[in-house]
Amino acid sequence: MKILAMDTSAKAAGVCLLDETKILAEYSANLGLTHSQTIMPMCEHLLSQSRISPEEIDYFAVSNGPGSFTGLRIGIAAVKGMAYAAGKPCVAVSTLDALAYNAVDFSGTVCCVMDARCKQVYNALYDVQPGTIIKRTPDRAISLEEIGSELKMEKNPVILVGDGADLCYNEYQGLLTGLVLSGAANRYQRASSVGLAALEKIRKGETISAAELTPEYLRLPQAQRELMKKRRENP
Amino acid sequence: MMNTYRSHSVRETEEIAEQFAKTLHPGDVVAYTGDLGAGKTAFTRGMARGLGIADEVASPTFALVHEYRGSVILYHFDMYRITDFDDLYSTGFFDYLDDPNGILAIEWSENIDGVLPPGTITVAFTVLGEEEREIKISREE
Repeated sequence: MKILAMDTSAKAAGVCLLDETKILAEYSANLGLTHSQTIMPMCEHLLSQSRISPEEIDYFAVSNGPGSFTGLRIGIAAVKGMAYAAGKPCVAVSTLDALAYNAVDFSGTVCCVMDARCKQVYNALYDVQPGTIIKRTPDRAISLEEIGSELKMEKNPVILVGDGADLCYNEYQGLLTGLVLSGAANRYQRASSVGLAALEKIRKGETISAAELTPEYLRLPQAQRELMKKRRENP
Repeated sequence: MMNTYRSHSVRETEEIAEQFAKTLHPGDVVAYTGDLGAGKTAFTRGMARGLGIADEVASPTFALVHEYRGSVILYHFDMYRITDFDDLYSTGFFDYLDDPNGILAIEWSENIDGVLPPGTITVAFTVLGEEEREIKISREE
């Protein structure tokens, strides 16, 4: 069984080829380049270097949100197109669930956190023992402040993963003991993590058709009031 | 730093914008404020010319954003119909903001004032008469 997994949910972009035993090949780029221009050449190169033809792929997996509006649409459109043409099923993986796999070796609470701008984050919490990941909250869009007050209640060590991890760490490192920032190699979205999360969903039979694949945006909590707030009110 | 100009015609507005565009760098955000018909689209047309972009510039009221491509990309937004965060998110605004090769020009920036990044250049238009306009360009130090 071969899976092609893709992530373009934020600034980094990546593709990965894996089977049930190992990660076969992976590309990851965090260069601030336009995903729509880079992701298909990356796929093509990954497959040709791996000597795998597109027909040999059994499942197409993608992170389908939360994340950047444009980024999610690029990844989903690319995977939908390939899966449709190949007549193969898709696996939609929560971007946050995939991120939790970046910290699968940790013991404690994994706090996946993505920057949604203006002190808002996309977040979910997971209880992790090496090898097992149990999701404790749904995917949600909340304020940085709310995440802080939740983390204060934690009894276990907490590791922060995602492109909002720095933001969260800088805000709360002094206030919370046992708060850990994930290392640079495991900080951001990775296509291999999407692939590993997809493998779990395939085992549970949670696959969908190309037509059923859609992005999952989360409603942001801030209102019009904050949007229109004058920057220069208090200079 | 603030510069105030007085324009007496659409053509003059375009010329002011063309000179202003030569001071811009990729990554800059230009936020317009002012009334309908104050010359914001004309100003953007002049900016595009100053940036060496040959595309035709039109008001993005309907499409929300237009892209004009040259050696830099000018993203021309109209925020008139943007009323909440989800609206703004679904224009892809935050993704355009991350484009290191882009310059953003934003009409009706009043509607998204709370999320304009530090260093935003403000261009305020005031209608003084039938053809006469005051154009005030402010940059944060």
